This record gives sequence, structure tokens and C-alpha cells, in this order.
Amino acid sequence: MIVLFHELTAALYLAAGLLAGVGLAAPAPRLVRASALVLATGAVVHGIAFAAFHLAAEPPPLTDLPAAVSLMVWLGVLFYLALLVRVRIAALVVGVAPLAFLGVFFAALRFPHSAEAPFVGVESSWPHAHVLLASAGFGCLAVASLAGIAFLAEDRRLKTKRPMAGRIRLPTLEALDRVNAVALAAGFPILTLGVLSGLLWVDASTGRFWTGSAHETWSVIAWAVYAGLVAARFWFHHGSRRAAVSAIAGFGFLLFAVVGVGLLA
Amino acid sequence: MRLVVVGMNHRTAPLEVRERFAVADPAPHLAKLVASGEIDEAVLLSTCNRVEVVTLTRQLDAARHRLRSFFRRDLAGEASLAPGTSLDGMLFEYVDGAAMGQVFRVAASLDSMVVGEPQILGQMKDAYRAAVGAGACGPILSRLFQSAFAAAKRVRSETRIGERPVSVARVAVDLARQIFESFEDKTALLVGAGEMIEAALEALRGEGVSAIRVANRTRAHAETVAARFAATSHGLEELPSLLAQADVVLTCIAGDAPVLGVSQFAEALRARRGRPIFVIDIGVPRNVDAGVNRLDSVYLYDIDDLAGVAAANAEERRHETTLAEAIVLEEQQRFDGWLAALKAVPTIRHLRARAEAIRQGELQRSLQRLGLDEGQRQGVEALTRSIVNKLLHAPVSRLRAEAEREEGLAYLEAARVLFALDDAFVPGVQDTDLERPEPSEGPPPEDTDEP
Repeated sequence: MIVLFHELTAALYLAAGLLAGVGLAAPAPRLVRASALVLATGAVVHGIAFAAFHLAAEPPPLTDLPAAVSLMVWLGVLFYLALLVRVRIAALVVGVAPLAFLGVFFAALRFPHSAEAPFVGVESSWPHAHVLLASAGFGCLAVASLAGIAFLAEDRRLKTKRPMAGRIRLPTLEALDRVNAVALAAGFPILTLGVLSGLLWVDASTGRFWTGSAHETWSVIAWAVYAGLVAARFWFHHGSRRAAVSAIAGFGFLLFAVVGVGLLA
Repeated sequence: MRLVVVGMNHRTAPLEVRERFAVADPAPHLAKLVASGEIDEAVLLSTCNRVEVVTLTRQLDAARHRLRSFFRRDLAGEASLAPGTSLDGMLFEYVDGAAMGQVFRVAASLDSMVVGEPQILGQMKDAYRAAVGAGACGPILSRLFQSAFAAAKRVRSETRIGERPVSVARVAVDLARQIFESFEDKTALLVGAGEMIEAALEALRGEGVSAIRVANRTRAHAETVAARFAATSHGLEELPSLLAQADVVLTCIAGDAPVLGVSQFAEALRARRGRPIFVIDIGVPRNVDAGVNRLDSVYLYDIDDLAGVAAANAEERRHETTLAEAIVLEEQQRFDGWLAALKAVPTIRHLRARAEAIRQGELQRSLQRLGLDEGQRQGVEALTRSIVNKLLHAPVSRLRAEAEREEGLAYLEAARVLFALDDAFVPGVQDTDLERPEPSEGPPPEDTDEP
């Protein structure tokens, strides 16, 4: 059931991405708007998958990498949809949906085919708090990085004076910069709580906060990098373009520190 | 008489070249042109996108040569162009029907970078007035421009060509909407106080821009414009401080050197903490240093950069453009007919003069014989004039009407033979009167609908 819902979610995310891509290329504003609706439907089905997850295994085994990736994708999509209510960024579905598809598809492939299959068991609530907070922070920062990519593309288009295709209204630079700022402002504190809860989890398991593991070390380094980016953005007021580059580079580093190092280990 | 148009526009010459040929005051140039002898009438149109001279001449080749040398020597030295750049390739030339079509199409904004933009009509009217003021515009060019203005008005009222987007100012606002989510918390800085600036003010106010500053070299002009749009007025010396507050900057001011440079923008960006500035420079020559676009968070568009936007715009309005072209053609044919009818003018004058000479001769002879008193003499005088006028009315009207057709020349030839006009000496008709409109067909009253 869990795998089935994940497969259905992946299909909806893929459909949303394709619709948005065709809508932007055509150009057909209706298709772009429809893609946002399909993405939202995918998020609902994704939520149902997690409800099934919760009902099938007790406690929910979120600490497993596929589950954590799936959770990160879901929270990221929800965060994007929440922003979509306030800011005109429907065209970003073209970036959000394919990434969401890849994450959920990866999770569906790695999930055991039986919901009763054993997962890594945990004794305290810190692991769940850590995965939930870190995934939420990760999702927000992924949106910041996507907004950064879109910002750089738009910035280049405007700098090189290429006209906008047809009647499609792409997100404005101001909107993309605002999304970047909001995502960073929301994502960094949540990520901080995720790192802290991770340290508390380590403390609960081993009796000390610092074990020096690769995951622990790289996660803290990634957090420090983001702390620098936040300071540059909100205290030193680096321009919007530099903020976009930072958001992309920061997320790339975080991806390597958390997922890449995990896979390499 | 031949109609010749020589010039350059946004399609034939890049902005770097056009700005060297821009003319602020056409009067001295026009006076020089018509004084040269090769050119009888001339109107000089200089806008952001074009520099064109519309002329009437009796010496086609000499006039063409004179106009090319006018661009090469009088407007700007060719030496000032980049090495390897040839001016000849950038100048277009139209003669007679094509020249007439060019004037009509420019007035109707069909030749504009932003098809359908309304400013060009006002700019053409200004150019026409300047030519009249300089004594360079005679009855034929006068009629040509009035007909072109009438065609432009028909195009605007009978098609939807001007409904959406419209002017360079409108395109500028559309571009700004790709950068800013809303204009309500934005400040616009407009440098200049001309027609383009007013159009931009109107467009920006329509978008809800909260604060608008108008800066101009002549403070009084800035005050006049600013007062109409609830904006604040400033002198150019305040530009550095105004720039730091401005989200949208639009410049269109006369001058040989840029009024805003890279260092001023870099300083403003520091004060703005990197917030973006969108700059539209529609001045020719350019008002903003092109290097400004290399700065992060500054997006600079000059008049040529708007071409891409305008092309997309023109595509959407292709249908309306077709309708507009049809109107222009109809009005052009009407003017062409009027012009053709001028061919009948010398024949008609000869005919009238001959009839009058015969009447006077016969009248004098009879009056000497009859010995009439003053009242009777006046009665006979009126009687003979009335007979001559009534006799001539039908052939003159027919000659005028037929002259507008292709076969009209045969009628004119027949009239000259039948009335032996080429054989007779006709007092009062000079060679210079040939192909000039009769007094009744002189320039129509000047258009008073100027906005």
C-alpha cells in the first residue's frame, strides 16, 4: 500500500513537471496553472502515503533513508505550495515537480514491498524529531535553491535582453528573491533544530554529544556554512544575485554533507 | 516634381550610429537644404528611432546626391563612425510612390519599433511645424503631411492597433513587471520632461507607482510635468541622491554625453543594499553609460534593446496591422490622386488665361464702338465673364477629374490641341507656376487636434 501510494505520488509529480514544461514551452498559461493543481494533488496522495505509513508500522520508521527522503520531498512540496498561495511562482513547478518525482521514485524503489518489513527501530523520540526537523529544513532550503536557479536564469535573460516567451508570466526577480529569503529564514532555524535534535539523539544513544562520525561532522560543517550564508544575506545585505548563488551552493553542499556522505559511508 | 525620402531608422542603423545623427533643432538644416537649389521643399524628422528627410525636388539626381552629402557632411562627419562602417549601407532612399508610402506608414506608426505607438504622430507634427516655421515646407509637402496625419488618425480610430501596448513607455513598464512583483512600494525616477517622459509618467501612475520623481536640466519644465502627475521635481544635480531611492529609472533627455555613469549606479547600489534598479534609456544619444548593465542588480535597456519586445508585440497585432495598412493605402491613393490632378493645373491656367484674354480683347473692341455709360459697361462686363466661366466650367472640371486617372494625360493633350494652348502667348502664366497647386488648392488649415 505504501509503495503503491508512493508510486502514484511519483506519477502525479512527474505529470505536474511535464505539464509545467509543456505549458512553458507552448506557451500555455492554463497548463502551467494546471500543473500546480496536479502537484497539489500529488502532495495530498503523498500525505495519504505517510498516513498509511504511520498506520502500518509503529513507531513510523522515518530514520530509514528512503523514508527520510520521501518526508523531505513532501515537506518541501508543502512549503512550496504554501508560498504559491502568496507569491506568483506557479512556473517554478517545472523545477519543483521533477525533483519531487526523483525523490519519491527513489524512495518507492528502496522501500520494502511489505509494510511489515523490519525498519531500524528507535527507542526515544529524538530520532523522529531529528528526521522531521532536518527534512523540513532540507525541504525549505531545496525550495530556496530552486528559486535561486530560477533567479539566475531570469537575471541572465533580462541582462541579455531576450524577450519573454509569449504570454507566460514567469516569476518576477523580486518574487524569486522573496521566496529565497523566506525559505532561508524558515529553513535555517528548522535545520538548526534538526542538527540540535540529532546531537541530542546521539547523546541519548551513546551518552555523549559528539562521536566524530562522518555524518555528524559534515552535518555540522554544512550548518556552519548556512549560518554564514544567512549572515551574509540578512546582516551584510549581499545583493539578490549573490544570495541566489549562495542558496544554490549552500544546498549543494548540504546535499553532499547529508545524503552524499551517507551514501559514501 | 519628385518626392524623395532619405534617412536611417532602427532597422537600417544601430543606435550608436543613429545617436550621432540626431537633430535637436531642424530649422537651420532645413533652411540650408532649401537654399541649396536642388531641393524645393523639405521636412526633417528626428526621433529616437529615425532621422529622415522628406523632400520635394525638380532635380532628382542632384537632390539624391545632396541628401546623402547632407547626412555625410552636415549632420555628422563620417569620420566619427567606427572604422569599416559605411554610411551608405545604413541610409534608405525612397522616391515618389515609395517615398509617399514611407511618410504615411511612419505617421500611422506602422514603421515604428513598437507598432501602434502614439508618440510618433506628435513628433511628426512637430517636425512639420518646424519645417513650416523655417519656410521649407510648401503646399505639396504640406498636403502630404496633412494627408498622412489624417490617415494616422483613421488608423487609430478604426483599428485596435493602439490598444495594447502601445508605446515605448508601456513596453518599459511591461519589462519592469518582469522584475518587480508590485509597483505600489516602488519609486520611479524620470530624467527629462518631454513627451516620452509624460507617457511614461502616465503608464507608471497607472501601475500604481507610489513615488515619482522628475529630474530635468531646466527645473521649470520638470515642475510643470511633475505638477500634472503629482510627482516631485528636481534638478539634474540631485541625480546621485535620487538614484539611491529609485527602483525604476527612465531617461530621455537631450545631451551629447551620458548623465548617469557606472560610478553613480555603483554608489546607489551600495546605498540600496543591492536592491535591483531597472533602467530604461530612451535618449538618443544615450543618457546612461552602457557599462551600467554589467553591474549586478542593474538591468539597463536602451531604445534598441526594446526591439525584441516590440517584435513580439507586432506579432500579436499582425491582424490589426493588416487593417491599418489598408487604411494607409486608401489615404495614400487619395493623396496620389490629388498630386496627379496637379498635372492639370498648368493646362487649366493656360485655358483660363486664354479665354480671359479673348474676352478682354473682344470686350474692349465692342465697348469702344457701342459708347455705353458706366452702368451698362459693368453689365456687359459681368455678362461676358459669366459666359466664359460657364463655358469653361465643364471642361475644367473634367480635366481635373481625368487627371487623377492614368489616361488623364490624353485629355490634357486634347485640350491643349483643341484650344491651341501651346501656340498662343498667354499673358500672366509663368513657367515657375507649372505643377503648383492653384490658390484654391493650397495647404489645408493646420491640424488643430494636436494632443
